[in-house]
Formats: sequence, structure tokens, C-alpha cells
Amino acid sequence: WLACPFQKDTHDAQMDYYGTRLATCSSDRSVKIFDVRNGGQILIADLRGHEGPVWQVAWAHPMYGNILASCSYDRKVIIWREENGTWEKSHEHAGHDSSVNSVCWAPHDYGLILACGSSDGAISLLTYTGEGQWEVKKINNAHTIGCNAVSWAPAVVPGSLIDQPSGQKPNYIKKFASGGCDNLIKLWKEEEDGQWKEEQKLEAHSDWVRDVAWAPSIGLPTSTIASCSQDGRVFIWTCDDASGNTWSPKLLHKFNDVVWHVSWSITANILAVSGGDNKVTLWKESVDGQWVCISDVNKGQGSVSASVTEGQQNEQ
Amino acid sequence: MEKMSRVTTALGGGVLTGRTMHCHLDAPANAISVCRDAAQVVVAGRSIFKIYAIEEEQFVEKLNLRVGRKPSLNLSCADVVWHQMDENLLATAATNGVVVTWNLGRPSRNKQDQLFTEHKRTVNKVCFHPTEAHVLLSGSQDGFMKCFDLRRKDSVSTFSGQSESVRDVQFSIRDYFTFASTFENGNVQLWDIRRPDRCERMFTAHNGPVFCCDWHPEDRGWLATGGRDKMVKVWDMTTHRAKEMHCVQTIASVARVKWRPECRHHLATCSMMVDHNIYVWDVRRPFVPAAMFEEHRDVTTGIAWRHPHDPSFLLSGSKDSSLCQHLFRDASQPVERANPEGLCYGLFGDLAFAAKESLVAAESGRKPYTGDRRHPIFFKRKLDPAEPFAGLASSALSVFETEPGGGAMRWFVDTAERYALAGRPLAELCDHNAKVARELGRDQVAQTWTMLRTIYCSPGLLPTANLSHSMGKGGSCGLQLMNSFNLKDMAPGLGSETRLDRSKGDARSDTVLLDSSATLITNEDNEETEGSDVPADYLLGDVEGEDDELYLLDPEHTHPEEPECVLPQEAFPLRHEIVDTPPGPEHLQDKADSPHVSGSEADVASLAPVDSSFSLLSVSHALYDSRLPPDFFSMLVRDMLHFYAEQGDVQMAVSVLIVLGERVRKDIDEQTQEHWYTSYIDLLQRFRLWNVSNEVVKLSTSRAVSCLNQASTTLHVNCSHCKRPMSSRGWVCDRCHRCASMCAVCHHVVKGLFVWCQGCSHGGHLQHIMKWLEGSSHCPAGCGHLCEYS
Repeated sequence: WLACPFQKDTHDAQMDYYGTRLATCSSDRSVKIFDVRNGGQILIADLRGHEGPVWQVAWAHPMYGNILASCSYDRKVIIWREENGTWEKSHEHAGHDSSVNSVCWAPHDYGLILACGSSDGAISLLTYTGEGQWEVKKINNAHTIGCNAVSWAPAVVPGSLIDQPSGQKPNYIKKFASGGCDNLIKLWKEEEDGQWKEEQKLEAHSDWVRDVAWAPSIGLPTSTIASCSQDGRVFIWTCDDASGNTWSPKLLHKFNDVVWHVSWSITANILAVSGGDNKVTLWKESVDGQWVCISDVNKGQGSVSASVTEGQQNEQ
Repeated sequence: MEKMSRVTTALGGGVLTGRTMHCHLDAPANAISVCRDAAQVVVAGRSIFKIYAIEEEQFVEKLNLRVGRKPSLNLSCADVVWHQMDENLLATAATNGVVVTWNLGRPSRNKQDQLFTEHKRTVNKVCFHPTEAHVLLSGSQDGFMKCFDLRRKDSVSTFSGQSESVRDVQFSIRDYFTFASTFENGNVQLWDIRRPDRCERMFTAHNGPVFCCDWHPEDRGWLATGGRDKMVKVWDMTTHRAKEMHCVQTIASVARVKWRPECRHHLATCSMMVDHNIYVWDVRRPFVPAAMFEEHRDVTTGIAWRHPHDPSFLLSGSKDSSLCQHLFRDASQPVERANPEGLCYGLFGDLAFAAKESLVAAESGRKPYTGDRRHPIFFKRKLDPAEPFAGLASSALSVFETEPGGGAMRWFVDTAERYALAGRPLAELCDHNAKVARELGRDQVAQTWTMLRTIYCSPGLLPTANLSHSMGKGGSCGLQLMNSFNLKDMAPGLGSETRLDRSKGDARSDTVLLDSSATLITNEDNEETEGSDVPADYLLGDVEGEDDELYLLDPEHTHPEEPECVLPQEAFPLRHEIVDTPPGPEHLQDKADSPHVSGSEADVASLAPVDSSFSLLSVSHALYDSRLPPDFFSMLVRDMLHFYAEQGDVQMAVSVLIVLGERVRKDIDEQTQEHWYTSYIDLLQRFRLWNVSNEVVKLSTSRAVSCLNQASTTLHVNCSHCKRPMSSRGWVCDRCHRCASMCAVCHHVVKGLFVWCQGCSHGGHLQHIMKWLEGSSHCPAGCGHLCEYS
């Protein structure tokens, strides 16, 4: 009975900035941190504090220290911090009325800001104001029925850095994307007065949006967002114009099952997609703008084969 | 006994129908209980005691049991129970310690039957014997349980829990004489009704108060208990020691627990505070509720399944003064919302993937790439068998190493570490970097470097033998060949390759994206797949070739996606050549600089007005004489950089940018450069390549980037004499008015590198100190310290 079949579903796994540690979270309320250097998996810490299944974890940028955020079914968000080798709860946010489904740290340039999406439909933004204090802003009714995912846009400065007076913090335009049970993806932007406003509503999915992932901006300053949904479809949204107002969707693929996650590689040229059939596929955009699966030839892409890029020989 | 309970069921009869509905009560409810006919429900609270009929569409008030003019404390109910054998019999527990029985068959308005005033404090629970019509049990805050025979005026027996207060009492369904009681201190006791002196068995079930318990209706040895520790535990009471079978973790303290009829593993719970929802759990899935009823706006105080054999109707009463009927099919199902998988791209291109293990196993057992010989395995499982997840039945975490697909980032680190970006002549840098790239198997990049060298380095300095040596099999293009290689020959060749590639279904972005920059790059894929004829296309241009044609045809060869402006822009530097014969690439480039920056109008104005066709012709002569000006390629190089950046290889873009420096910088707008720089630096820092990152920052020409180095480093200096912080920036300390950093050897102020002994804090010019220490290990200042410099 102890090995009953439903125990300890792992819901999320996230690698840290340097790729040396892996944080996982699961239904048994635990958040675990593993050292994954040199191919090993050594348990470093088992963080207890949640009172329900933990859905997602997120690492903060290391310039702020070793900080991990986790969100749970118990309606709480906990921020954990490592101090002198031991992990401890540093802050607990209990501002939601329902399960918190997603957490995501803002780009480090903005300071420590955490976005949390909850089943109560609200998104809250926690900003570290120093001395252990966190300021909370809440976007109520961001998604009716619930918000499933949040993802920040990479930090892009309007105009060149040079235009900024030296010493002053550049004036970033903070944006993030969220996906929810209303089948929508919404883009949020911080106004001058610090309030968050809905900037865009992206409509294409016909069922709950399960995950959104804003691509890292490496290379060209085109904005790209990947989204996946209960309806089995994965869309790639791109925005070329500077104002950021016109987004065009491109269907990456229609899967036969729910698509749970999308994740970009750090150079933003490969998208990993995991679906209800528990397969992970990797996708890459070809020159003619079509997305091709480079990992799974059985996936209805017929003649598509993996693209051999540099480094292959080295890897083998 | 069992027979009797079945009879009860049969009386319920037929199929229950109804819908999710609720009705408003006048006051908050404390407890509810259902009549055995499943058609009536009694609601009790501090100031309410009513019976409602459950109809198809609504609740209808049938009877108000609170009668009499002055409200009695006896009517302030903490609990109510309806006898499951006698439809007319009810019992209530009052907050003042009174246990009251009610007979609905009484003809008068007042249905009160008997009054037992034996408990001293609030009675928390009353419970009828499941099969014995006259036996009633009560549990009170005063720590006692009493058993009443309704045919007598007072209690039959008293059981002392030897503890503060009894929270719940429940007769066993399985064993006629047994009942369970739960206590504030976390204990559960099992009693034999015939033996009031001591309990049969006692065990600690929870950490903190145990608020409720419920015997399983079918597996009759099972007892579910719920506590303030937010857990529901299922115990097997048939064994010698109570054995914990399941443990459900809820998110709030558990006030009530009720097994769901006909569903062996399901139970319903509600909470005492904070959480207003009612959850139905599958005890085998202890973390996420199977169903959730969210109708109530305040704490749910009483729950009851409407019929002992119907799993779909649940009734509940709440502090929000409402009575609800919940339909199971209308419940929200959090399990459905739960995300069963986790996915994350690691830094080095490895992929962490957590999912249900059965499926992962299926995945790894499958042979996914049978059709493709080149990639026998895509995912290499790195799962360590000693890893804690291995023992789990349903969920597993795997870290996959992505192999070919370009995800792996090892090459990035190696390249970053080994590239030479400055400090040597351009040709050497290019050669070095080409070599690095080739050794890492990145032939395309290697070729690019070789091309760059060819383009930007004067041929006179380079012996051709050296060149061909460095360029490997495909790249033996000497510079003189390069100058005149025939684009016309090349383009069709490339075109056909592209078509070939496409027809083969090879989605090779590298190959297919052959814009004008790519034409200069010998693609590794081409070399591999097409064999030796491709290099021929590239390289064996006609040395004597028709140079005019080269230029005249050029526009046609530009990629259709290229902007039209390619030709005119290329023409500017060419015209320059007419004006002043090129003395050398460097000089020429400097000249070329200004028109580019100042814009085309100025450029045209400064030039002699020449007919364009004529100019082309004359240029080709100049070309033939010496070489193409480096600027001729600047567009191509620019496109090449964009191409790499777009491919996600911002490393290449930045490296070339740094190595070529002024030669290309002007062609790429500042913002893009800055963006590349910051992206690359960010990447380098992620890979902890601090040195490389610093070098890039230092070498970058973008002001915004190079100031990154100076942004965050602060050095706090103390005066070496008075030991206080130096406030001003000069060499003299404000406080003691002496020069702070004097060299102990030459007694001059040290400007620049200052080395000091951490022991005595004396020091001086690095070279002086080094010299001094050759002769003596004592401090040069004469303080007697044996200095150590590390």
C-alpha cells in the first residue's frame, strides 16, 4: 500500500541559471533540489512548507542569491532562499483564493519580481523592496476561471542603452504573457504609474491554454511567444513591429492530445514541447518559416529528419 | 444486523433524482442529518432547528422544531442525528451539555421527547446505534462519553476518556458492541459498550485534535479520522494494532469526514476554518482532491451523503446560512486541472522531463528513430538508478541529454574559451578561430572565418600555400581566385543544391538559407553530402574571368529576399576606387568610411559624376589590377552576421564583430550590435565564463556595453596611516594629510599597481617590491615584519 500508484507525481522540474541544479516539485508537497553536475543527481535539499501539491518552481537570477519560488494548490507561493548552505523559507505569499498554478521571475534587470498566476483568475506580482519586504500588486480577473501560466518578456530597452543618462536605471518596458482557462493568451504591460494593464489579447486556441513561453531574446529583437493548449495545438506568436501591437500566430503542430508544456532553449532556436502522450518533441524553425520537428520522425512529419548542426561530432 | 441496514436502504427505494441546488436558512447551520428515506434533511444550529424536504427542484421547509416563546439553551444545537431505523426519532446535542431526543410522531407542536442533562459542558456529538433502536451515544467537551437507553431516564453507562474533550463518537457498523471516539489530544479510542471501565484500545492518530471519524460502510474495519493537522487518515482496525492504510493531505483542518457510498476509496471532507469548500478525495491519490464543491461562501459545518447507496448526492450545511445539495457530476475536478508533466530546457541543452512513469517507460522502450541511421538514439537517458524517484510507481523524472539537434551547448563553452578575439593580426585571429571551429567540428563556422580572412587580409602578406593548407579539402580558394570567382557559376550550383536538399526533405536550415552572405560560406553539409563537385562550383572560377559580367550579373544573384539597395550600396566604395587608386585596404577603408556615414547624398556630391555603367566597367579594371576593396563584402558580412544571430549563434556574430572591428561595425546599426553584445555576455555569464565575458566587454566598441565593466566594482580604500576610509579621490588622506599609498622602497606615491603585504600593510610599486624581496624577506618599510606575498 505504501507504493500506492498515485504518490508523488512530479509536476515541474526547473534547472537553475547555471544548469547545475535542478528543482523539482510534486504532489507530496515537497520541493526538492538536486545537484546535477557531472551527470549525477544528488539531493541537496528537501523543502517542506507547502500544504498541498506543488505545481511549479522557478529560480531567480543568481545575482540575487540562491532563490527559488514555488507555488501550490494550497493557494500559497513560497520563496525559498539559501543562506550559508541551508535552504529556508524566506517569504510566504497567501494572497490568492485558489490554487496558484504558475510562477515566473522577471528578467533580472527589473529587480526581484515574481509573477504568480492562480486558479482564482488573478495574477499577482511580488516585488522585493528590500529588508525582507515584498510589495504585492494584483491583477484581478485576469483570466476568467483561472490562469494557468505566466511568462515574462525578455528585458528589452526602448532605444539604445546609450540614450540613457549614465548611472540611472534604464527605463525598461516590463511585459509578460499569461495563458488561462478562457482560452486566451494575454499580454500585460506595466504603465508609467506602475499599474499593470492588458495590452493584447491573443486568440487562437479553442480550449484552456496550458502554457506560454516567451522566447529569450538572443539575436534579433523579434518577439516570439510559444503557447500550447488543451486543444492539442501549439502556436508560435511573433511580433515584428516595434510598437508590439500586431501579433501573428503560426500553428506549429496539432497534437492528438493535450499539450502541457512548451520550453525554449536558451538560444531560442529550439522549442521543446511535451504533450499528453508524454512525449517530448523538439522543434526548429526552418528557413522558409515552417516549424519542423527535429527529434521525432514518427510524429507525422513524414520526411523530416533531424537537422545536423555544428557540434554534433563533438558530442558523439 | 447487516440485513437490517439493507432493509433501510430498500426503503429509500427507486432512483434519486435532483439537481445541484441550495436554499437560504435563517441562521448558520452547525450540523445536518438525513432521514433514511433520503427525502428529508434536518438542519440544526445555534438558532435553527428545521426539517426540509428535498424535492426535485428545491428544498421545502417542512417543520420547525424550535417552538415555545422563549428560546432555550437546550435548543442551541451543536450536533443533530436522525435515526437510521426510525424515521420519527432524532437526537440533538446542545451547547449547554444537554442531550435531547425528538419524536416526530408526537401529535403536539412540541416534538421534544427526552432530556438528558448529564454532561457538564457542550456535547460535541451524538450517535445512534446503527441497529439498536434505543441506544444513543454522546461525546462531550467534558471528556466523558455516555450511553443512553431511550427507554430509561438517565444514562446506562459513562465512559471516561481520561482526556480533555471528546470530539466525535461513532458506533462501529461491523461490531455490535464497539464504538470509536476521538479526542482533542490526538488520540482515538476504541471502546466496548459493555465495559465502561477502560477502553479496549487507544492510539495516537493525529498531531493535534482529531475532529472527526467515520467507519467505512463496506470495509467495516476501516476507520477514517480527520484532524487539525490537515490530514485524513484511514486505519485498518481489524489488526492487532491499528494500521495506517492511507493518509490524505488536505489544505485545511478537517472538521468532518464521510465515506462516499458505493465508492470504496472515496471520502468527503470539509474544513473547520479558512477553507469553505467540500472535497471528495480518492484516498489512493492523497494530494489532489478528486472533486471539489465550491458553493459555500462560509465554513461548511455539516456534510451528509443523501442516500447510503447513492454516491452522487451530497448535502451540506454551512455557516453562510445555506443548505446545499451537490451533484457529483457538477463538481469541479482539480485532478483534471493538475498538470502531470514538467519540462525544462537546461543550460547545456539537456532536458529535464517529469511525467508519469508508465508513460516514460513506454517512451524509452520505444525505438523512435529506426528510420534514421544517423541518429540512432536521440535521448540518452541519464537517469541514475540510485536516484530517489526510481522507486516510485507513477511518476519519474528524467534528465535527457539532447544530442544532435543543436541543443547541446558544449560547443559554445569550448568555442568561447578558445577563440582569440584580439591581440594578434587579423589573419592570425581568423586562422586561429577557424582552427578552433574546425576542431570542434563546426565546419561552417570554420569556413566563415577562413573566408573572412580571405576577404579582409591583403593577399600580398599571405602565401597561397599557407592558405590552402589552412582551409582543408574544400576550401582551397586562393585569394586571387576569390577575387574573380564567378558568381554566375556559383549561383546555379547553389540553387540546385538547395533544391536537392529540399527534395530530400532535409530541413537543413543552414543549407537552405543561402542568402548572399551564405554564398560565401562553404556549408559543411554540402561537403558531406554532395561530395567533391560542390567545392568545384565554388572555387574554380575563371581566373581571367569576365569581370564586367561579374558585376553586371550581380543583382540577379542577390537573393530575392535581399533588399534592392544592395547594388547601389556596393557601388559606393567602388566608385571611390576610380577617384583615387587604392593604396591599401586600410587606407581605402578609412576613406570609404565617411560617405557611408554621412549618407548617400553627400557621397554622390563628393564624387565626380560618372555614368554608372561606365563606372562599373572601370572598377572592374581596378579590380583586376589589385583586388576588390574590403567594403565590397561588407554587405555580405553584415548579412552573414545577421544570419548567425538569427540562428541563435550570437557568439559568432559578436566574435566576428570584435575581430573585424571597424571593418564591419559601421554597417550594423548600433542597437543591433548592442543587443548582440548583451545577449552574448549574458550567455557567457550563464556558463560562468567570467573571463571571456570580461574580455568581450572590454573589447566591445559599444559604449553602453563597455561601461558594464565599470558599473558594479567599487574599491573601498583606507588610509595606510590613520587607517580610516579615504573619502576623497586623491592620493592624500583628508584626515592625516599624508599621502596614502607610498612605495616603501622608493618613497613615492604609487599610481597604478600597488602591492602590499596583508600582514603589515606596507607595500609599494610591484616591481620595487619584487626586487626588494629578491634580497630580503623583511618588510622594506623597516617594520620588522616578514612579509608574505601570495
